[in-house]
Amino acid sequence: MKALQILIDGFAISSLYGLGAIGFTLIFGVSGVLNLSHGAIMVTAAVIAWAAAGSLHLGPYLGALCGVLASLAMSFATYLLVVRPIQGSTRIPREEKEIFVLTGTLLWGIMIQEAIAYAFTSNPKTVLPLIPGVIYILGVRTPMQEILTAVVSWAAIGLLWLLVNRTRRGKVLLAASINPRGLTILGFELGDIHLFVWGLYGVLAGLAGVLLGAFLGVSSDNVGTLTASAFSIVVLGGLGSVTGSLVGAYVVGYLETITAYVVSPSIRTIPVLLLLVLVVYLRPQGLLGRR
Amino acid sequence: MARKSHKQALGVALAAALTLPICAAQAADPIKIGVIAEVSTISGAAIPKAARLAAEEINAAGGVDGRMIEIVEYDDHNSAADAVRAFQRAASQDKVHAVIASYVSEVVLALEPWSGRLKLPMITPGAASDVISQRVHDDYDHLKYTFHGYLASTFIADSVCDGLKVVGAEGLNMKSAVVMSEDAAWTIPLDAEYLKCLPKIGIKVLDHIRLSPDTTDFTPIFNKIEGLKPDVIVTGISHVGVQPTVQWHDQQVPIPMIGVSSQATSSTFYKDTNGATEGVIYQTVSAPEVALTPKMIPFTNAFVKKYGVTPAYCGYTSYDEVYYIADAIRRAGSTDPDKMVAALETTSWQGTIGKVEFHGRDSQFTHAMKVSPEFVSGLLVQWQNGKQVTVWPSAVANGKITFPSFVKLPGK
Amino acid sequence: MKSFAIPVLAALLLALLPFGVSGYVLGLLTLAYYFGVFAMSWDLLFGFAGEVNFGPSFLVGLGAYTAALLNHYQNWPIPVCVICGALVAVLGGLALAVPALRLSGPYFGLVTLVAVLLLQNALVLFAGITGGEIGLDIPDIISIDESTNYWTALGFMTVSGLILFGLSRSPVGLILQASGQDAIQAAALGFNVTRHKLAAFCVSALFSGLAGAMLIFYMGTASPGTVVDIGVGVQVIIAAVMGGRRTILGAALGAIFLIVAGELLRPLGEISTFIVSAVALLVILFFPGGFLGAALHRGER
Repeated sequence: MKALQILIDGFAISSLYGLGAIGFTLIFGVSGVLNLSHGAIMVTAAVIAWAAAGSLHLGPYLGALCGVLASLAMSFATYLLVVRPIQGSTRIPREEKEIFVLTGTLLWGIMIQEAIAYAFTSNPKTVLPLIPGVIYILGVRTPMQEILTAVVSWAAIGLLWLLVNRTRRGKVLLAASINPRGLTILGFELGDIHLFVWGLYGVLAGLAGVLLGAFLGVSSDNVGTLTASAFSIVVLGGLGSVTGSLVGAYVVGYLETITAYVVSPSIRTIPVLLLLVLVVYLRPQGLLGRR
Repeated sequence: MARKSHKQALGVALAAALTLPICAAQAADPIKIGVIAEVSTISGAAIPKAARLAAEEINAAGGVDGRMIEIVEYDDHNSAADAVRAFQRAASQDKVHAVIASYVSEVVLALEPWSGRLKLPMITPGAASDVISQRVHDDYDHLKYTFHGYLASTFIADSVCDGLKVVGAEGLNMKSAVVMSEDAAWTIPLDAEYLKCLPKIGIKVLDHIRLSPDTTDFTPIFNKIEGLKPDVIVTGISHVGVQPTVQWHDQQVPIPMIGVSSQATSSTFYKDTNGATEGVIYQTVSAPEVALTPKMIPFTNAFVKKYGVTPAYCGYTSYDEVYYIADAIRRAGSTDPDKMVAALETTSWQGTIGKVEFHGRDSQFTHAMKVSPEFVSGLLVQWQNGKQVTVWPSAVANGKITFPSFVKLPGK
Repeated sequence: MKSFAIPVLAALLLALLPFGVSGYVLGLLTLAYYFGVFAMSWDLLFGFAGEVNFGPSFLVGLGAYTAALLNHYQNWPIPVCVICGALVAVLGGLALAVPALRLSGPYFGLVTLVAVLLLQNALVLFAGITGGEIGLDIPDIISIDESTNYWTALGFMTVSGLILFGLSRSPVGLILQASGQDAIQAAALGFNVTRHKLAAFCVSALFSGLAGAMLIFYMGTASPGTVVDIGVGVQVIIAAVMGGRRTILGAALGAIFLIVAGELLRPLGEISTFIVSAVALLVILFFPGGFLGAALHRGER
């Protein structure tokens, strides 16, 4: 019984983690950017979804849509206002560009976090479940929202796979993530690719944010933890590897869930952190990453 | 002879003319009360609002012997360090005469030594840790400037047990419980007392869970509790509130939650949880539409009229505090810290939540509030259909207990 | 000699401030001076050894909390606690440096961030002992008198600044700078790059830990928000970048500017952090050289 509960809960939370982590890793793979405002973008989506559904009386579905749109906008803003200017800046020496982008996105994330706290306070917001109620899976009582979370996450991942492997755009994206230089030589307009990937990222992060908001609730206080969780997963799985991120997400999700159920809920994050330390010391490129 | 009296009259007139402006200046000298609170939290927002309301009322009635009360507000962002800086600013820059500080025990505990170092009287409207008053007992000469303006955790736990005895053990035939609290300073004595008083009312404690205040996913916790099959979950939460309540509801955990849930005391909680708080029962010292004291309803109405929401529990205490600080200053005839402390110690104030009096040096909890039906005691309130309904004690109850359909009650 | 006149004059002026300025301003500057030491330690590591430490607050936090816990539970005297704090910070720096130096690019930055996360989590997890998110109160403080605290901080910052600056201009410092800018060439020239970077880590850790411990004895309380949070680390980095990388003194300037600006904006409430971050972002975009960067390096051209 407990095992089944762990299986189901772990699945839901891992799917959610996976959705967030994939976006994060895509940005690194293609744009070479570790977007430290990731958590802020997710929380923006959740909070806007909550506000749209509640204060604007748009209901949960339209609210969720608003949330994803907000995240899309925020993602583009991050690229156009912060990342691209720094990457193109002539005043920053080349070897320091990465650091400046990191610092820049970190600052940007803080700005978003403060803006959210200012506009909505830092009290946790729960997005109304898109499907309320519970269902019994083999005797385990599961909220419908949890099932929805897993389903939507995998639908998104599936669509992404289709995009990357079956469409022309997607194949270019994949190529760009492996060798951006090669692509320019072949005559592709890299600027387009960047906009495309940031747009994709916006949708993924937005979905993850809205689902998280409905599942557990979010507050502007969670921004740092969400970013940290995403890059922990990505480091584990391997920076730049989408498959690695998925695997990492499930490892983290299940490790956390098992710890919470079997040992104690209060130490759920410890095994993950210890694993992270081990990985960083022994295999810094992660399970499936490339150096 | 006549010339001398002229001279005398002139002398008196001159003296009067010289002192009059000084008197006038002193009369205009406001009494400043600093209010340090976690302004952006559900519970903390009520503190400065209530303090301002009290100040306005007192000033409208002429102030304290002609001196107006001025409230100086500080947001401590839920951090002890920020609170300390605010306290230092309040003392050295804004030169306040007293401070009303925070509902978070860790913050108050960090401020307590500063209250002693800077000799600035400080009263907390909402923190619960027993350590606050125990410290005053152990180091009276240094820490006598701190007063505990809310119930100490031990007394809160006793209050919950008193209520549970009537509505739980007797009313609903509850025989077992799991204690679920956040890991924080105020719950250490709370839980210790729960573990003592629950068995005394016939409720066996099956397990005692302390959760990290950072927890966002309560599923494993509720799952664990459900596995133990208790009749009730006795809570001790303040820093968390929205998430466990929403998840309790979404997961349809079939066990009622009764106990301390600070955020639930605020009227915005229903909206904040999208109604998930339906059925949750919380302990408090105040409730809307309950005339526990003659002042309770007028204050609640005035607060709602001015701010649009009902006050959280620490609003009531903050309101009272401004009043009895003013009263102490009036009785002491001065704002000298030591005189204020002496006057505060002899406070016997009819507040909104009951009669406020403090324990003295003879008690282990020096400067803690006296708790008993004669002074301040508790209520159990339940959220029903978006309203806060008092369910205990029966003398002031204005509704019967009812739970959402997913909650399973023990059979008779 | 001429270039020393300005800093010396400035130091003298600052030392005389308590005679004319309110306790509130002194308190603010005291905080700023400790932050200055955080920033200067960071600059030594980054500016010279070329290692971007995204978690300076890991080292600061270790020093601060070690001292805080020792004082709160064991009641050891302040100097002992401070020294222990600094030692633990150095140990932490070593533990971090050894694996981290084998990494390059984003991985190193990530490791430093992970370190901060670990510390943060540990503090929250053991909230019963550490006071968790909200903080731990400390029985002893340096002094209640604002002037005493101010002079202590100023003196500490001046001495630290002198040592750090001296190191940066010394032969050791030049080797560090070379290693930072082109490790391969430096190694080719026969310098043990790793050992020098390790030394830089230790020095940076020592001063960060010392300053962290001193800071909490000024405030009388230790909380993650002041010494551990990522936000603190970001402020340190911004201070150093705004002041001018590789100048050491610029970092101190940047820290003072940041703290004062943050306080001046306080009446605006929540939005003040937003504004400070926005300004910092703009500086990064348009003036990556910082205040002193432009001034000092112009001479070197």
